[in-house]
Amino acid sequence: MTATISDTGNVAGTKASGEGARLRTAGKLWQAGGPLVIFIAMFAVVAILTPAFIGSGGITIVAASAAPILLVALGQAFVLNIGSIDLSNAAITVLGAILLAMLLGPLAFVAPIVVLAMVTLFGAVNGFLLAYTQVPSFALTLGTLGIFKAASLVVSGATTVYVSQNKDVVSPLYTTQLAGLPLTFVLGVVVAVIAYLFLRFTRAGMGMTAIGKNESGAIFSAVRTRALKIAAFALSGFMAGLAGMTIIAQAGSASAMGLGSDLLLPAIAAAIVGGTSISGGVTNPLNVILGALTIALVPIATAAIGVAAEAQNLVYGVVIIVVVALTLTRSRTAIVK
Amino acid sequence: MTKAKEATTPVLRLTDVQKSFGSVHALKGVSLEINRGEVIGLIGENGAGKSTLLKILTGIYQPDKGTIAVNGSTVKFRNPRDSAAAGIGVVHQEQSLFTNLTVAENIAMNGAASKGYGTTFGFYRWGKLNKAAAQTLEIIGSKLNPKTRVGDLSFVDRQMVEIARAISVDTSKNATPLVILDEPTSLLERGETAILEREIRKLKDFGSVIFVSHRLDEIIRNCDRILVMRNGELVADRVTTTVTEDELFKLMVGHESHATAHERRARPANETPAIEVTGLTRKGKFNNVSLSVHSGRVTAIVGTSGSGREEFSRALFGAEKFDGGSIVLNGREARGWRIPKAVKRGMGFVPAERKVEGMVGGFTAAENIVLTHPGDAAFGPILKPWKRNKIAQQWFTTLDVRPNDIGQNLERFSGGNQQKVVLAKWLSDPELRVLVLDHPLRGLDPGAAETVNEQIKAACKKGAAVILLADTLEEALEMGDDVVVMRDGVISATYDLSVDNPSTLDLLERMV
Repeated sequence: MTATISDTGNVAGTKASGEGARLRTAGKLWQAGGPLVIFIAMFAVVAILTPAFIGSGGITIVAASAAPILLVALGQAFVLNIGSIDLSNAAITVLGAILLAMLLGPLAFVAPIVVLAMVTLFGAVNGFLLAYTQVPSFALTLGTLGIFKAASLVVSGATTVYVSQNKDVVSPLYTTQLAGLPLTFVLGVVVAVIAYLFLRFTRAGMGMTAIGKNESGAIFSAVRTRALKIAAFALSGFMAGLAGMTIIAQAGSASAMGLGSDLLLPAIAAAIVGGTSISGGVTNPLNVILGALTIALVPIATAAIGVAAEAQNLVYGVVIIVVVALTLTRSRTAIVK
Repeated sequence: MTKAKEATTPVLRLTDVQKSFGSVHALKGVSLEINRGEVIGLIGENGAGKSTLLKILTGIYQPDKGTIAVNGSTVKFRNPRDSAAAGIGVVHQEQSLFTNLTVAENIAMNGAASKGYGTTFGFYRWGKLNKAAAQTLEIIGSKLNPKTRVGDLSFVDRQMVEIARAISVDTSKNATPLVILDEPTSLLERGETAILEREIRKLKDFGSVIFVSHRLDEIIRNCDRILVMRNGELVADRVTTTVTEDELFKLMVGHESHATAHERRARPANETPAIEVTGLTRKGKFNNVSLSVHSGRVTAIVGTSGSGREEFSRALFGAEKFDGGSIVLNGREARGWRIPKAVKRGMGFVPAERKVEGMVGGFTAAENIVLTHPGDAAFGPILKPWKRNKIAQQWFTTLDVRPNDIGQNLERFSGGNQQKVVLAKWLSDPELRVLVLDHPLRGLDPGAAETVNEQIKAACKKGAAVILLADTLEEALEMGDDVVVMRDGVISATYDLSVDNPSTLDLLERMV
């Protein structure tokens, strides 16, 4: 059979593959480099308008504010990659921070481990409910968002919880710097690299991406879809917990309405600006780092341009739409019927 | 052969039509004529340029060069609406009806037809709409109620609605409608095909037909003239009475058929079957189904769409539940049966819905091949992507997948080549014991079908037991060692082809 392909057929085949390869390279280049280009553009705006900010430790400030966004966004990227969304993970961050603030006193070094185990479990419960009840993730996590918020209020007694003792178990994460970057941000980068390796080089990671691209196809390819969904949500919970830890490291206190309570939208934005597809199956955790930095720069850039603080959210919204329009993977919608 | 009722201008004339996509020359100058009342068969392998040609005729693509003339006057189709207005209607392979709307609404949905046909300022005038639909249905001899919701119709009835929609092109200009049937029979069962073929003959009375199909016997049965495409060119234009199936195959593929006869293996006496099913039951779907398949043998299951054979085959693979009975694989009973377990025990499954269930679109061909059985491309849970390409390239060569580009998104391949990749996914399992194939040749051109069949035979030789849900009875008789007939969820007959020699008619009698 193979020996007798007609000559013309062969030529056509080679041509087609050459063309395909070229288009693919262009698409992949933008998918890989787009977030970087956008980050550099954003950074340039800030650097040109406020050179003083960049010179006077501004980078440290940006990295510090990007750290919790990055960690929550990485968890969100895992969930988006399997074709779901986790609206509850930022609420898990706040609950985790409150629990850590309360437990650091009595448990010291054990407290972070206990809290991380708890938040991972919270995420896993989300995943379990999704896998077995098949309630769409948007509705499901909207529900658990409410539950986690209420839990935060109840646990904290609706006041700010201060770390009473053993603050220095986590505070070095913020106070220590590596090449001008706080350890909290370095932690985020390390997690992103591990996440990247996991998604690209493990069967579980590939299975998760397969679910996001075509769940039925994944099921019929013997991918353990339920287990992997639970795992993706558990990772989202875990990374939200890490974000909670960076908040305690930075502020030394936590409250249901305080630092970290408005992380949900910036984190989703960071994941998407970092090239993660909202319809599933496409993400690159390394680009999410750039997404988080871009999003962290938005308020600074807004102030630099001279927009009033009240109108910040307007600029924020415009930036997200423009950036997503530029970086979106369009291959899925290329077919015009 | 052609009915030269009026020796007038052809209904359709193409002159040197060309189309390129980047560096790919999809149509290299096609010229053809279609006369009034003619049924033209259009055949060619996947990628031969048939789809491009059809898309140009229906206004989805615009030709780079060349002219299209309808009833003698040159036309330019900027969009499907223009093409419909010129009298060209199309029945798609995958049905494109709105299942939540009524028959009449669907027929009126044809852009040109809805103009002044049952609507005023965009509002429906139901009486007029239903009457017009009934008239159109009457032309093709269908007695469907225009007020029925399309979702409630059977597949073949829906096909009637598609045809009605296709011929409800603007008849006010006294133009001859040209109906394009794009593989209309590939999803139909045997009895339904006969109904459709009757329709095609009726269409000849008032219009012309372009009939696209991969089933050469069907083409010969229904068409007056046959056009063969290969590599973007028209390589043959033959009057049906002068050609044979073998000749058509050779014209399409460019070489003679290499199909080898399946070497029948008699049922071994003292050997544990690879799979033994006893009394498998799922309420309302299939009841008390028992069969056993030995290593190296093929059991073909035939039956109509309500026979329960699809559900049965899916239950074997753990894709659907069963209420009673047992599945024993190589002497060990299957418990807590779900897909990952079935795969671990050496089962493979090629689903009928290739794009939805058979593959992960968006992944490359190479990623799809190693997704289930990574082999050397993984060390435990860790993947070694750099080894992936070698494995994939071997399968691409073995199965002659075109284009030979393992890094290409699998969605971009033609159906036949996708199916080869789906097959490779299971064949790459060195422990493959039982392979279940649900309509593996659906929508495949004869060249690709031959490759797939050869690989099924090769898998048998290596010791796999095969359960095949064939598209046609001929396919079942050609490939099977045993043929099992199912009707209304139960087995109505079993033939051991090393002993029995049933005809297709015998099988048909047990099916309905």
